[in-house]
Amino acid sequence: MIARIAYAFREMWASFRRNLTLTVAAILTSAIALLLVGTTFLIQRAFDNLLVQWRGDVEMIVFVRSDATPEQISLIDQTIKAAPTIIDAEKLQYLDKTQSYEEAKRIFVGDPVTLSLLTPDNIPSQFKVVPITQDPELVRSLSEQYRSLPGVQDVALAEDEFQVISTLSRFVRTVTLVMSLVLLVVAVGLIWNTIRTAMFARRREIEVMKLVGATNWFIRVPFMLEGLLHGLLGGIASCGGLWVLNSAWTNGVAGFKPGTGISSLVVPSSYLTGVMLMILAIGALVGAIGSAIAASRFLDV
Amino acid sequence: MIRLESVTKRYGTETVAVRDASFDIAKGDFVFLVGPSGSGKSTLLRLINRQEQPERGEVWVAGQNVNEMAESRVPYLRRNMGNVFQDYKLLPNKTVFENVAFALEVIGKPRHVINRQVPVVLELVGLAGKEDRFPEQLSGGEQQRVSIARAFVNRPLIMLADEPTGNLDPATGEGIMALLEEINRTGTTVVMATHDHRVVNAMRKRVIQLDRGVIVRDQERGVYE
Repeated sequence: MIARIAYAFREMWASFRRNLTLTVAAILTSAIALLLVGTTFLIQRAFDNLLVQWRGDVEMIVFVRSDATPEQISLIDQTIKAAPTIIDAEKLQYLDKTQSYEEAKRIFVGDPVTLSLLTPDNIPSQFKVVPITQDPELVRSLSEQYRSLPGVQDVALAEDEFQVISTLSRFVRTVTLVMSLVLLVVAVGLIWNTIRTAMFARRREIEVMKLVGATNWFIRVPFMLEGLLHGLLGGIASCGGLWVLNSAWTNGVAGFKPGTGISSLVVPSSYLTGVMLMILAIGALVGAIGSAIAASRFLDV
Repeated sequence: MIRLESVTKRYGTETVAVRDASFDIAKGDFVFLVGPSGSGKSTLLRLINRQEQPERGEVWVAGQNVNEMAESRVPYLRRNMGNVFQDYKLLPNKTVFENVAFALEVIGKPRHVINRQVPVVLELVGLAGKEDRFPEQLSGGEQQRVSIARAFVNRPLIMLADEPTGNLDPATGEGIMALLEEINRTGTTVVMATHDHRVVNAMRKRVIQLDRGVIVRDQERGVYE
């Protein structure tokens, strides 16, 4: 058994070095494809950060001053619920200061300055409002009414922020996703071609192997390992690229004034690690698929 | 050991390579398949080691129906067969020892078995002392001996030889035939395709003659004609 594993790795390595030009091309292509896949996920997450407060059809947020009295809060609550034909009272959600602070920690992950100014005591609490009506004008006029209530700090409308961000987000996601898919297919194709060439170069050996009774798996495994290695190396390279990209982005964003909203585009490093692991997995998978197709096709004698 | 029942093999829709062939080869037999080029000798050998599948009929080897065997069992069938070719099919970048060892290596034999069996078989084929040569440093006859050593190192039940003397001068060819006869005496069944008159006439073994894919003669202790 050990002899077989040693054989597979020895053969993989020999073949890997023999075809250096094609090998490098296959690795570079998969690296670029995977880098794009990773970037797609990071951008997606960044936009999600911007939109986190607008989850669940919330279209209006009423921010309540941190020094509002319980009576004022209860008055706001009643006022909102007093328009049941426009507002969905069931889905009305009140985040107290602690909950609002938890949410702020996520939104301002890349903006420690703003975050440090907020405490669970001075942060405004908030009502998240889900309207029933489809008429934006009605919601807008309602928001004007809420703004004049005592204790209300501000009223934010989803329409204003949401539209731009979500349209942009959807567009960027579609473009990067399509591009990365195309590049992934190209990477599979290049790995396939590299493995096919490697097998063709060794067709005499493969013929002899088949005649003396080597199993197809025995013949196939070194080539599949080689393809896997291509994908994995591509994955490692793209992880490096992703890390550099994300660091540069985080540093660049830090230069903006706090509270401009740009800072919420920063992705937490735990998420980056997750994306990197996923990219390594996708890389290995792409390599295995490419080489498996090549190996099974070529072995049909 | 080898039995064909009404086997027909066609390439494409027109060319009939083998038509309605039936024969039975017992364990330990030495059989010549003779006939001109294109008469179907090689196809018969390729049917026996399942490089080809027949269109009709059945091929049996060592009690197993070769055609109905699962693809995954084919390698194990082939471990019972040694193959020798006119063009040797040696690997040019491996030494004599490595070429023979390769056959054991790729069926997963451990190193100590390889190191024990390869010198024994090289001694048997008369190549002791030439382990470290590369194929291009050997004569044609010596190369064929390496290929026979590779085919025999795993002690197969059957030896299939396709024109093994085809590229060799008569004297060298005789040496190869003596070697095959020696292997046959160890109990290995030998099936050899050839159109070499002298070899067949000198050996007086069973002869199966083919003409355009049809068996026209099956004779004990035959000659080429």
